[in-house]
Amino acid sequence: MAMPNKVITIQSDLDIVAARMAARDMAKSMGFGAIDQARIATAISELARNIYLYAGEGTVTVSEIQQGLRKGLQVVCEDQGPGIEDISLVMQDGYTTSKGMGMGMPGAKRLMDEFEIESIVGEGTKITCRKWKRP
Amino acid sequence: MDIVNIPILKIENFLIASVQVALYDMQAIQFKDAVLQKIYETKAKGVIIDLTAMDVLDSFVGRLISDIAAMARLMGTTVVITGLQPAVAITLVELGLELPGVTTALNLEKGIAKLRLITENNADGNA
Repeated sequence: MAMPNKVITIQSDLDIVAARMAARDMAKSMGFGAIDQARIATAISELARNIYLYAGEGTVTVSEIQQGLRKGLQVVCEDQGPGIEDISLVMQDGYTTSKGMGMGMPGAKRLMDEFEIESIVGEGTKITCRKWKRP
Repeated sequence: MDIVNIPILKIENFLIASVQVALYDMQAIQFKDAVLQKIYETKAKGVIIDLTAMDVLDSFVGRLISDIAAMARLMGTTVVITGLQPAVAITLVELGLELPGVTTALNLEKGIAKLRLITENNADGNA
């Protein structure tokens, strides 16, 4: 029986911590190991901070997913912010708008198993990422 | 918002701060300011920031740690970070944050030993 989704509204820096704690709690109760828990929590921290810094507000939805026999944790980060003009640019290591170190997006991608970005300039951004449990 | 309350203790010529809770961005910035102010007030030769209790270190806090070390160095003080958990070290490197220029030690005890060594060598060099 899958756990219910958790939706965290991101409006302040406090919510960044709340989002990563929610993701970590779910990862832990799903049986992810300590290192994967840290990877997931860190990736969510980066993505939630991007929402806070660039869109002002948005949501992070954490859910348990299943594909055949394997179980995973999915995180969807959505905002109605300015959108990303050049996605390949923000996925480059070291690219920054000076608010961060430029590690957020490519770093989060490396920490997760799957990572998809959809973004429309002027409408918003949706990032979906997943971590699969090792059998 | 809560003002962060991380005690910064002075022992001999060193300051020791142990971060025990997840820091919000604003609290992390306040912590940086508090450490630098305390270095100035106490004229400490070295600072240990113990992160044993931290289970997540993202790029924001990682940058702040680098900043504290660089700023303290400009003030003539050495910072040693101690107690990074294996999972934190792994995620930091995978994230792309290897914290160049930041001195680290396995735990508080080794951190103090390292700080003693560094500050004594500095004193010799200046003599």
